[in-house]
Amino acid sequence: MDNLVFEVGTALVLIAVTSLLANKLNFSIIPFLIVLGMLVGPHAPTFGLIDLTFIESNEIIQFLGRMGVLFLLFYLGLEFSVGKLAKSGRSIVVGGTVYVAINFVLGLLYGFLTGMPWMETLIIAGLLSVSSSAIVAKTLVDLKRTANPETELILGIILFDDIFLALFLTTMSGVLLAGSTSVFGIITSVLISVGYMLMFFVIARKGTPLLNKWLNIKSDEIFIIVIFAILFFVAGFSETLHVAEAIGALLLGLVFSETEHRDRIEHLVVPFRDFFGAIFFFSFGLSIDPSTLSDAIWLALGAALITIIANVVAGMFAGRQAKLSHKASTNIGLTIMARGEFSIIVANLGIAAGLSPILTPFTALYVLILAIAGPLLAKESKNVYKLLNKVFKWSKVSEKKKIEVPGE
Amino acid sequence: MNIRESELPGIGYKFEIITKNDDKLVVVIHDDGRREIYHFDADDHEEAVSAATFTDEEARQIAGILGGMRYNPKSLDTVDFTFDDDLIIEWYQVEPGAPAINRTIGEVDIRSNFGVNVIAIKEKGTKRTYNPGPDTIIEAGDTLVISGEKNQIRKLISTLLSSRK
Repeated sequence: MDNLVFEVGTALVLIAVTSLLANKLNFSIIPFLIVLGMLVGPHAPTFGLIDLTFIESNEIIQFLGRMGVLFLLFYLGLEFSVGKLAKSGRSIVVGGTVYVAINFVLGLLYGFLTGMPWMETLIIAGLLSVSSSAIVAKTLVDLKRTANPETELILGIILFDDIFLALFLTTMSGVLLAGSTSVFGIITSVLISVGYMLMFFVIARKGTPLLNKWLNIKSDEIFIIVIFAILFFVAGFSETLHVAEAIGALLLGLVFSETEHRDRIEHLVVPFRDFFGAIFFFSFGLSIDPSTLSDAIWLALGAALITIIANVVAGMFAGRQAKLSHKASTNIGLTIMARGEFSIIVANLGIAAGLSPILTPFTALYVLILAIAGPLLAKESKNVYKLLNKVFKWSKVSEKKKIEVPGE
Repeated sequence: MNIRESELPGIGYKFEIITKNDDKLVVVIHDDGRREIYHFDADDHEEAVSAATFTDEEARQIAGILGGMRYNPKSLDTVDFTFDDDLIIEWYQVEPGAPAINRTIGEVDIRSNFGVNVIAIKEKGTKRTYNPGPDTIIEAGDTLVISGEKNQIRKLISTLLSSRK
């Protein structure tokens, strides 16, 4: 019996209920959907009509999740603009570079110390370095910190982090998906990826007037069909060149971000990104066998601890060199440490290339810890600052002056 | 007043305002249309003490109220009375940095240059109003009561009485 639609419908109901719950608790949906995916799956029971194993529908759910990755990265490309980066200023460039460098180098060291092979070490260093734009933005808005002096720097570092993600994914997909083991083969395929990326940059610079004209389509219906056709075709075509399909989507987003249709595309893509993105987090959880989690727990805890320390240090450095106070600088690290969608995408690249299967439970636990601990620590940043201040003695304890209210 | 603008990628746009009284306000316009306004501690410009959130519609109404569209405060800025089509009396407070400051009425020769009469001057911070002569010095914050044709009053205000910034 073909119950496919019913199974997918069941999964969506679970996703919706979980998202409502996450919203009620004021958390990002990302960690909640991953846990949901882990709870169900082949080991879960079947209640009469309702089948929680999702075996039959696994393939289609994974495919919908893959679409989610395409939309997430396509949107990232759209949001990104070279112009924005160019005017971002020195403190963001310095802060962003230091941020990525500290995290990446510590990630490499961690991989070596835990005895990971080369490729796994690179993937771990990569996924430890990419902050979650979605969670950080949500944290800033929820905690009403958008007005704070450090907010521009936080978002600037995130922007910088996103470029690193793009470069890292492109290079790594060249290294990993080439299927070659010789140094020469790897170099060739990295060159192909980088050349492919450069080709998109050239199109973005030179082809904009032409694209503006071609995409000048009045009907929203036709417009979205054309955009999505290009998106899926380019993403799929990239795969044939051993460039991850996600990179194809990202680069295409970059090209469109230079056109005058950017806002319209962004507007149309957001609901798709949100919907398929949610399925992606669920499908990632679904791909995890809970029994493997215990093997990865210490590895993930260690990595999370390193990230927390690295972020506080990098945030403090970035904030101080931008002439922010110690208190504002503490906020930077604590806000930016959240990990989410992009770490999973990096891990998926490694898994797709057949690297060690421990990457899946490791990444899941690592993201779960930091997707929850990040926003919580950000919320408690005042207390963290007080604690750090006791150790480092940055400033005299400036207790708020009590305002004398006459007649009280 | 000092206004600094910056973009918040993925969130919206931010305006940081420090008033002459050293009050710090921040207005954040979210991409979804919400507005937030934050008021910061007078002693610690990093610590927001209060915040309010408005919908797009509310924000527009509040902007109207602040802009004086509903009620224009008396004896501040511009309050005008129209006698007939053209001749009006207007109250105008001289802005800091205006070209007319520290010059006498005779020196700038408002009457022959603009065809406008200065009927009275109210000094800043006092209730005292007096009839000015050619030797009266115009100071920042003075409220000038002037009469003349609408267009010429506008011209006078924009060239001599408002700040050059």
